[in-house]
Amino acid sequence: MSLQIDLTFDDTTYRHYTNGFLTVMHCHHYMTLATRLAEQFSDLGGERILAESAEDALRPLLDDYIQKHGISDPDERLKIGQEYYAAIGMGKMAASGDSHSGSVTLTHSHIDQGWVMKWGERPTPMNYWTQGYIAAMFGAAFDKPPRSFAVEERESLVSGAPHSTFLVTAK
Amino acid sequence: MTVQRDVVVKKLADIKAVGNEEGLIPAFNVLVNNLPAAFWNTFTVRMMEAAPAERKQEMEDALMHCANVCGYNTGYGIITSKEFQDVVTPMVTEGAKDVLRGAYAVFTAWGWAKSGIAQIKEGERMVVRAMDYYEADMKPGYMMGFMVRGVSAAFFDLAYGEPYPNGGNTFRCEQVKGMEVGDPFGEFVVTRTDSPS
Repeated sequence: MSLQIDLTFDDTTYRHYTNGFLTVMHCHHYMTLATRLAEQFSDLGGERILAESAEDALRPLLDDYIQKHGISDPDERLKIGQEYYAAIGMGKMAASGDSHSGSVTLTHSHIDQGWVMKWGERPTPMNYWTQGYIAAMFGAAFDKPPRSFAVEERESLVSGAPHSTFLVTAK
Repeated sequence: MTVQRDVVVKKLADIKAVGNEEGLIPAFNVLVNNLPAAFWNTFTVRMMEAAPAERKQEMEDALMHCANVCGYNTGYGIITSKEFQDVVTPMVTEGAKDVLRGAYAVFTAWGWAKSGIAQIKEGERMVVRAMDYYEADMKPGYMMGFMVRGVSAAFFDLAYGEPYPNGGNTFRCEQVKGMEVGDPFGEFVVTRTDSPS
């Protein structure tokens, strides 16, 4: 099945909803600056906080969609996760795996491309947000609680690689 | 005639932000994302909680800086966009003040804050009132409208600072009321950075 996106606007509160969840539009400046802020406060766990915030905030959207549409097949659930990632403007993703491990590639990325547009390439990966999203996606696909998967970015569009690659491992 | 926020909001709110075949949303000379407000709020609160007392101000400033730079660049993209020219510009009769009103209408239409200018002394001071803003959804016990603060300072800079991209940091914004701390609305005061605080 293909993801169905229902965008609504409450003309009393002037708030936007995506499939019933309050969403807000922001730009690559804000997202890449938030990413840099996380690194600036690395001693406080900034990168981990960014990834976990993404995992915790995005997981309910995925769980809700899966539940409402009665999707039980893990591969279908991963596909929904990929399509959601694209629908919210974060890039184009391909994922595969099982409850023990998996891999994800990005051929387009809001964060990596936004970073390059703003500051140019850098030698090290920095897509912590997507690490969190992937953890949420695998958790939703395999009915696992938050923090069940470790996600490591191995190569990155921001470093000039043709795609970003993430390795997923069950904790 | 001047800029009528509700008319602008209703026209611009119909724009559907969904990723293209590359999963990206290019608009207003930037890449747009459409994320749960819960993500931004969760990140902000957890970062603030992670900061020890002696670094709270540093964290606040850093969070506001993200929004300030975003507001300056995206704000410029907004006020020079075709959408703005089509919808807002025909209502502009009071120069920079009306462009600012239009920018806040877009700010509202994008779901950041149901907000508008309550007082303005051109080039010097502005009071913005927000009757609903997503940053107020969390109740951490302190005012956390960092995004509204940063963007408000940036918008005022676009209207009255050096021409883009040479401006920035001409103005600062303080939050004096917050729905997240029990006030009936959020209130944000923009002043020059070289004026006494």
